[in-house]
Amino acid sequence: MTNRLSCSQDPLQPRTKTGTAALKAVAFAAIVVCVFLPAIPKAEAADAPAWMHALASAPLPKHDEKTEAVLLFSEEILIVQPNGRTKEIDRTVYRILRPGGRHFGKVEVHFDGETRITHIHGWCIPAQGKDYEVKDKDVTENGLLGLQGGELFSDHRVKVMEIPAPDPGNIIGYEVEHEDRPYVLQDEWSFQGTVPVALARYTLQLPAGWEYKAVWLNHPETAPTSAGNNQWVWELKDIPEITREDSMPPWHGVAGMMLVAFIPSGGGAHGFLTWSEMGAWQSGLLQGRLEASPEIKQKVAELTAHATTPMAKMLALADFMQKDIRYVGIWLGIGGWQPHAAPEVFSKRYGDCKDKAALLSVMLREVGIQSYYVLIDSERGGVTPSISPHLGLFDHVILAIRLPDGITDPRLLATIQQPNLGKLLIFDPTDELTPFGSLNGALQASYALLVTPDGGELTQMPQLPPSTSGTWRTAKLRLDSQGALRGEVQDERLGDAAWWQRGELRNVEKDSDRIKPIEQLMARSMGSFEISKATVTNLQDPMLPFGYQWSFTAQNYGKFAGNLLLVRPRVLGVESSGLLETKEPRKYPVEFPGPRHDHDTFEITLPAGYEVDELPPPTDADYSFGSYHSKTVADGNVLRYTRTYEIKQLSVPISQADDLKKFFRIIGNDERGTAVLKPAGH
Amino acid sequence: MSFRRIPLLFVLIMVCLLCLPTRKTIGGDDWLPIDPADLKMTSEPKAPGAPAIYLYRQVDRKDSGRANTEHNYVRIKILKEEGRETANVAIPYLSDNTKIVNIRARTVHADGSVVNFDGKVFDKMIEKTKGTKYKAKVFTVPDVQVGSIVEYRFNYDFEDGYVFSSYWAISDDLFTRKAVFSLVPYPEFALRWEWPAGLPAGTEPPKIGTDKIVRMTATDIPAFQAEDFMPPENELKYRVVFIYSEDGFEMDPAKFWRKFGKKENDRMESYLGKKKELEAAVSQIVSPADPPDVKLQKIYAHVEQLRNLSFETRKSEQEEKRDKLKKVDNAADVLKNGYGSGYDITWTFLGLARAAGLESYGVMLSRRNEYFFAQTRMNKRELDSNAVLVKVNGKELYFDPGSMFVPYGLLPWQESSVKGMKLDKEGGSWIQTPLPDSSASQIQRAANLKLDDEGTLQGTVKLTFTGLEAWSRRLREHNEDDEARKKYLEEELKSYVSAAIEAELTNQPDWKSTEPPLVAEYHVKIPGWVSSAGRRALLPVGIFAAPEKQIFAHADRVYPICFAYPYQKKDDVTIELPGGWTVSSVPASLDKDAKAAEYVLKVEDKKNQVHILRTVRSDLFLVPKDTYPALRTFYQIVRSGDDQQIVLQPGSVAATH
Repeated sequence: MTNRLSCSQDPLQPRTKTGTAALKAVAFAAIVVCVFLPAIPKAEAADAPAWMHALASAPLPKHDEKTEAVLLFSEEILIVQPNGRTKEIDRTVYRILRPGGRHFGKVEVHFDGETRITHIHGWCIPAQGKDYEVKDKDVTENGLLGLQGGELFSDHRVKVMEIPAPDPGNIIGYEVEHEDRPYVLQDEWSFQGTVPVALARYTLQLPAGWEYKAVWLNHPETAPTSAGNNQWVWELKDIPEITREDSMPPWHGVAGMMLVAFIPSGGGAHGFLTWSEMGAWQSGLLQGRLEASPEIKQKVAELTAHATTPMAKMLALADFMQKDIRYVGIWLGIGGWQPHAAPEVFSKRYGDCKDKAALLSVMLREVGIQSYYVLIDSERGGVTPSISPHLGLFDHVILAIRLPDGITDPRLLATIQQPNLGKLLIFDPTDELTPFGSLNGALQASYALLVTPDGGELTQMPQLPPSTSGTWRTAKLRLDSQGALRGEVQDERLGDAAWWQRGELRNVEKDSDRIKPIEQLMARSMGSFEISKATVTNLQDPMLPFGYQWSFTAQNYGKFAGNLLLVRPRVLGVESSGLLETKEPRKYPVEFPGPRHDHDTFEITLPAGYEVDELPPPTDADYSFGSYHSKTVADGNVLRYTRTYEIKQLSVPISQADDLKKFFRIIGNDERGTAVLKPAGH
Repeated sequence: MSFRRIPLLFVLIMVCLLCLPTRKTIGGDDWLPIDPADLKMTSEPKAPGAPAIYLYRQVDRKDSGRANTEHNYVRIKILKEEGRETANVAIPYLSDNTKIVNIRARTVHADGSVVNFDGKVFDKMIEKTKGTKYKAKVFTVPDVQVGSIVEYRFNYDFEDGYVFSSYWAISDDLFTRKAVFSLVPYPEFALRWEWPAGLPAGTEPPKIGTDKIVRMTATDIPAFQAEDFMPPENELKYRVVFIYSEDGFEMDPAKFWRKFGKKENDRMESYLGKKKELEAAVSQIVSPADPPDVKLQKIYAHVEQLRNLSFETRKSEQEEKRDKLKKVDNAADVLKNGYGSGYDITWTFLGLARAAGLESYGVMLSRRNEYFFAQTRMNKRELDSNAVLVKVNGKELYFDPGSMFVPYGLLPWQESSVKGMKLDKEGGSWIQTPLPDSSASQIQRAANLKLDDEGTLQGTVKLTFTGLEAWSRRLREHNEDDEARKKYLEEELKSYVSAAIEAELTNQPDWKSTEPPLVAEYHVKIPGWVSSAGRRALLPVGIFAAPEKQIFAHADRVYPICFAYPYQKKDDVTIELPGGWTVSSVPASLDKDAKAAEYVLKVEDKKNQVHILRTVRSDLFLVPKDTYPALRTFYQIVRSGDDQQIVLQPGSVAATH
């Protein structure tokens, strides 16, 4: 479950909803209205309930021979009480089709401090023999001990139930009932999963006089049927599965779901209907958290004492936030959404993304610079302009800094022009490796909630030019008559390329391991090599380009073929990809991590007595999403290979998948290209 | 890096129940003095580049039977920004019988200023089951900067009336400058301690003093780091393990193992007791006229067909109850019921071999995937795998049919080249299992491909896995269905080729048998394998060479290199050229025979075809760290050979010349 601003980058997962308590109810009038839960049929000892047995002969949804299981039935019954609390019953029934589907027998129910699981029960109807049953007492409970990545403590826990005999041919099912205290009156019905669904049903029971607003994602809108007494039922049949693919958009970007906001009668707090309302709610959580203590004021004065310009002041404060405030996440209750008070974060010198954004905002204000909270998803593609406001969409907080008029520093790249607030610099204080002024590729071009003084609005983050990120590699090399290649390489990385490499080296325990990435790079491109000298530059300073410099000797790089000598001019680096070389046709867009511009220049001085006989042809590939150009020329006794690889479109739609596949194949062909040398004068 | 900064594992065996608590803990607010040089230090020459190091660790355990407690003290120097994560602390414990008390922590800045921890200690549930609650005390130390010293201390208080075995974790993922350990043993029980992976250089082994306290101090303990092809962690991580016993310990390894051997032999003989049933069974399996080796093969094949419960999908208690499997007490039960665990099946094989008149012995083996057996450690758990030794035609052959799918005459790799005990009523004798020759386990790749004018290869590939190569794949896919196995085999072939490849499995491999090789046949297409260079086309010879591409890329090595088993990869590739194409040159033949490993490449021009023969043979097992450069060089030669190209002359161009 991702219902907190936790900076986590979860892999593609359906966001299970039990424990949506993160969305806190604001005060409600205490109108006493009885809402009765549908009775849970009591199972006979070890017998699955009748509703599950009724599905034993249900037709299967459309599937193929690779399908591991099908979801025969999923039901979510949500009863909203007049006090804003909810009760929910979830029922799920799978038919297991293949051994790989056995994992559906392990059921994980995520919950937190705002959720009380009142009932959990599972069954298996085997193809032969009596039913199996799992009762509450057989369920184990896990917390997540995950201090890596900075999470220290949260009230997030998991009930784990293992249903017996989840074997092919058998039917397994479970029922979970829980009570929640949501922070916001909203819900999310995720009806599409990783296996085909035969029937999905969502029942909403609202108190009398309440209304709802539903918005559909990745699925045509479907009208509910009324069951009377303000009860609404949505049903969907034959929902295809989401197939996992590498570099696909996040779950919210591809899976069908319905977001629903509840509107109490008589006004008062309600589910978010506009982005402005959601922004106002977030602003409310910041109340009292953004005060500057005397210690903060003193530190700001100290840090900016020698800074004479607004840019210098911002740099000093951002540097303090990136280097001196350690990332530590403590998420309890509303703490998943509300930052700790800035003075507390300052005195402890640690906090999570919300805390760091809040403290930086306070410090900037002390030097006269305004800034605004930005709620964002750490994966691009899940939030689109057509989506409706919903807290579960975001898992990270960054800052939009109002740039003082007249600032034109070329380092300020990640900017947007906001009609009311002016020019804003988007900055992620949690990201210690991306320099002030820039923005990590994963956040670029994303839609995020800008929290403004009068509410908030969905705003697209900037996309930086490709030239701001990438690798510039140059090598001056000499080939000898035995085929040995030796020389020096300069490798300079900017933007995400530098960010990634610095991240890789963060946890290296000893100096000698810092050249392992070079060794891996070399090993991908040549069979035999020895690195004789290597240095790393600007590892600790993200404001400067990251660099590697090394010298190497590669015996037998040139290969003899009769009296010919074969040399691959593309000495290092692989840009081609097997991403789309799959048996099944691509189903979802390809999301690139960020814009990129790589440039290689390799010069090889040829051995005396040889001359170029043939060169690989130049390559020129231009598409809307990217380009690739390479050229090998002979200049006297020097073979010069140059190439550029550029990604400028971060999302490649499925309609361009074939072009992208072709693009990578063209690159692969170029990377294998060989120059043929012959004895001079022959 | 691991978040756990507490070098402790705990709660192993409840040994004794005593009475009456009198709780006392080590505590107070005194911190050990800090050397000013430690405040100023910015790096540790013995751990260059380390993000943080332990300056000091201390574990003092007191097992008195009452108020048992363990005091822990940790002092960490933060050297880099990423080292600040070590200030996040999680202390795991079983809340049913252990408490964590007196947690104190502080940060000492490089200028000597102190920030005491006054934050919240969270009690985090890690796992709650019917019987136990596994929790962790979690906290983070404030205001931690590069240059800071983080220190904390706490006590484990154990439930009165219990004595727990304990453990000193010496290795950690950070370098330790000094670690001090002590244990006040529970006086009523015998105590033995061992350091199975050795001790850091220069460390005096733990000793019990006149005050009856066991003590040890270690300095300059290197950080533990994982490497590819390294020996089992159990053999590399320094630790001291304490074991209590009510009955005392045998201090003489010979006597210890003799006692063990007798006990195991009695168990085994009792298991094989119903000799008449076994004789009746074997008469149905073999013919009296069969030569001994034929008899043995028939018996092996028979027990391999028994239902092996050890390799079935894990079942719930309810399922097991419902299965109503009969209790297996002896080999006759296994034969009668038709099933048993792997352990049962191996002993049943022994019983049948004996019943057939073959000279056979039960043996207990260690498994080298977990540890390298040492008699002196006197650890019964390290000799816990059963196998059978049979003398046939003067040869000693080892078998473990309970491990499923292991071809006749081989052992699972974990049990090969290990020390074991041949059981007899006198207490047994030591044996060494053989390491199979590389020819026993092969991956053969035979390809018949056609090259088209676009540079695409297309045709058929036949993969043949023999010996342990077949065993590991059959075992891995044992509980899967045909669709999953097909995907697995297609992915396997793709992993051999360092370019985009389309592969479609075209046969139905035999997954259920033990003896025949596992054979997979494919139709494949490798677009653009051949590249053009002006008038020429170039065809790389290492078509199936991707697995060797990245192996041993790093020049630096910390640990010895450990291979699972010897193997051979044999490629036989024929490529038919398009009409009119000719071969300009082929790479020279190469035979790099480094004795324990060999690489052979032979490329032949056969008019309108090229024929590539490639062999990588590895008879390597455990390679000392000192030999790593030679090993790395060997694989560099392999890669260099694989990178060679055949020069072709395309037809139209040839015609114009």
